[in-house]
Amino acid sequence: MVDIQTVQEGSESMRRPEDYPAGLAYDEMFTAEGGTRPHYQLLHNRIRTLGAMELAERQQTLERSFLLQGITFTVYGADSATERIIPTDLFPRIISAPEWAKIEKGLIQRLKALNLFLADIYGAQKIIGNGVVPRDLILGAPSYRRQMQHLFVPHNAYVNVCGSDLIRGEDGEFFVLEDNLRVPSGVSYMLANREAARRTFPGTFRQAGVKPVERYPDLLLATLKSMAGDWRPNPQVVVLTPGVYNSAYYEHAYLARLMGVPLVEGRDLSIHDNLVYMRTTAGLRRVDVIYRRVDDDFIDPLSFRRDSSLGVAGLFNAYRSGNVVICNAPGTGVADDKAVYAFVPSIIKYYLGEDAILPNVKTFLCRVPAELDHTLANLDKLVVKAVGASGGYGMLVGPHASVAERAEFADALKADPKNYIAQPTIQLSTAPCLIDGKIEPRHVDLRPFILSGDKVVVTPGALTRVALKRGSLVVNSSQGGGSKDTWVLSDDASATSDGDLEAGQ
Amino acid sequence: MMLARVADSLYWVGRYVERAEHLSRLASVMLSATLDRTDAGTQAAELARAAIGDREPAADANPFEAARALVLDRERAGGSVVDSLSRARENARQVRDQITTETWERLNLLYLRATDARAEHEFDANAPDFLAGIIADLHLFKGAADATMSHGEGWRFMVTGVHLERARLIARLLRVCFSGHQGAVLDDHLALVSVLRMACALEPYLRAYTADLNSRYILEFLLFDEDFPRSIRYSTDRMEEHLNRLSRGREIGRGDPARLAGRLNARLAYTDVEDVESTGASAILTAVEAECTAIHQAMFDTFVAYPLEMRLPA
Repeated sequence: MVDIQTVQEGSESMRRPEDYPAGLAYDEMFTAEGGTRPHYQLLHNRIRTLGAMELAERQQTLERSFLLQGITFTVYGADSATERIIPTDLFPRIISAPEWAKIEKGLIQRLKALNLFLADIYGAQKIIGNGVVPRDLILGAPSYRRQMQHLFVPHNAYVNVCGSDLIRGEDGEFFVLEDNLRVPSGVSYMLANREAARRTFPGTFRQAGVKPVERYPDLLLATLKSMAGDWRPNPQVVVLTPGVYNSAYYEHAYLARLMGVPLVEGRDLSIHDNLVYMRTTAGLRRVDVIYRRVDDDFIDPLSFRRDSSLGVAGLFNAYRSGNVVICNAPGTGVADDKAVYAFVPSIIKYYLGEDAILPNVKTFLCRVPAELDHTLANLDKLVVKAVGASGGYGMLVGPHASVAERAEFADALKADPKNYIAQPTIQLSTAPCLIDGKIEPRHVDLRPFILSGDKVVVTPGALTRVALKRGSLVVNSSQGGGSKDTWVLSDDASATSDGDLEAGQ
Repeated sequence: MMLARVADSLYWVGRYVERAEHLSRLASVMLSATLDRTDAGTQAAELARAAIGDREPAADANPFEAARALVLDRERAGGSVVDSLSRARENARQVRDQITTETWERLNLLYLRATDARAEHEFDANAPDFLAGIIADLHLFKGAADATMSHGEGWRFMVTGVHLERARLIARLLRVCFSGHQGAVLDDHLALVSVLRMACALEPYLRAYTADLNSRYILEFLLFDEDFPRSIRYSTDRMEEHLNRLSRGREIGRGDPARLAGRLNARLAYTDVEDVESTGASAILTAVEAECTAIHQAMFDTFVAYPLEMRLPA
């Protein structure tokens, strides 16, 4: 059982350990002066009572349970495929109630505005007419789908599942770094990490008053069903996966299992008279809502990429006829384009008449000559990203790059400036992680999940991604990132004072 | 109602799991038989090798190497334990949402252990222990499936796969042992014990027939016993039961797998060991294998690869 010692604020024992490097960035657990932040005190206390051996043991148990559950992604080598778990850190990242309240409000505001934006550009295009967003930026984007023009989308909910990437800068302020509006993944890790954290630090978890994330699957199901409206009672929902070889397959199966709906592949579906059916043991059965985890390009070889075998021929026509709902709607990628990102604060202002609650990171659009010059002159300080790329590819982190790499990128920039944006290098906040038996700070980001159907809901939790390489700022799992559980504290626990901690003995 | 592809995968999970168990047991008996430097031991090892399809085991081939390949060699023609486990697990992974976590974790653990880099070392160090561990884990898998999965459509497909594979494998084992290609009548006590061990039937047999071992009783027990779960009759009984439930309420024509299973089951129910002795065991055992193949094909045609135009809603 957890034996919480009496906590004395600022006492020697509650300070940052001597060997924990300070001053890298804003640290989630320790203040710049070396004290422990109030919402981290319970955890810090618990960690201090555990020896290095015990910590290592718990870390091993954690990894073992992930491997056993098959929470793995597949790495394809030359002649064999190996399964690896995404490295998982046992210390949770904790967010206090007031901080979360702001994040939640900001995310809801942002998604509402982005859905209105999508409804507009696939409708009357007023925002383009009013000159708020440049026409060629939208209509020229590869992710713009003219097939979606003037299609009815229930509740104007183009984006049903959104996984925004947030980061915390040096001053402790949260920024939105990216809106993932296509097929964001990672939610199964949020749930699996929580499952594991409850076993790793049961006492601390109970005392801390952590908000639950376990309702995500049923909220997702309700969101998907709300998209079928009332035109079909008890709609049949399915999850469409590219198949077992997809790196996120585990997540697709996980969500289907927890929602209790079939996990289908393209070959299980067929279209007849613009109705979608799945092939069951008892014949064909109508499908109403498809939560697709297949990219736009691949969902229908007749409407999009012709060489795709992952989708279903004729699916888009069935969708256009209103006989099936595809979630997220095709074409949402145009709103999370890295260049459109720069306009999101104006988009929020335009549709909602409000200022963005969560700020953007300052962004230089290389399509604008002055900003291109600025970018070229400051390549050693900036992060440059290709507009169309994701997953940490096509990206230059100026301060960490060699002279040759910078020169190469400068050439690419000059050749095709429209394809690039630049942002100041932000030292992402750090959180303590167990690295080779020692507690060390590593940079982290935050990916909360927002659902939008007849209403917008934010699950009080997130996937915290960790850049496991010392000093690295890239958290993507394809680039050696890991993850950890994220605890959002409930209001009454945020009032935790020393008194409450003592009462928690 | 479930996806056709899912039903197919669950059926194959059942078949591969059963195959893995059977091959493990053959390997285990083969290893222990060769410990006896007697003719009977050699004979038992040869029977085991014949039953796994090594038709003409080279005289100089080392039985330990043969058992090792049977367990660990993924490329072995005719399959191996590791190969069967990998395929069972791969099929289970494709229908991960249909299997309970308890069931999945047993199979996944087994797969991870059998494909681990240390597996070969463990096998070389103590093969009987290694094999006993795999067999015990497979029992745990089946137990977990029985205790935690809903006994609905998906489970029935899986269990039908188990019993179809089992009936096939036992029929083949009996055919190799008793149909008398070599002309020799199998009557050595040790060899007969090995046959029973390969069917995991020694103790139940002793309880039913005492230690009086002869090929007639063994045939009767493994072909016709209604209660022993590894007799062919028991498996065909289960297949008929599950396939009847699976095809209930469906309009299925002549190719109904339930009808085929019922016919096979009835044949076993109304045949006895005297009939078998008069005609030779080979006839009925060959028929069992052929009928299993027919049932397999009928299931595929009925539940999985049916023509779409037959099933479109009117």
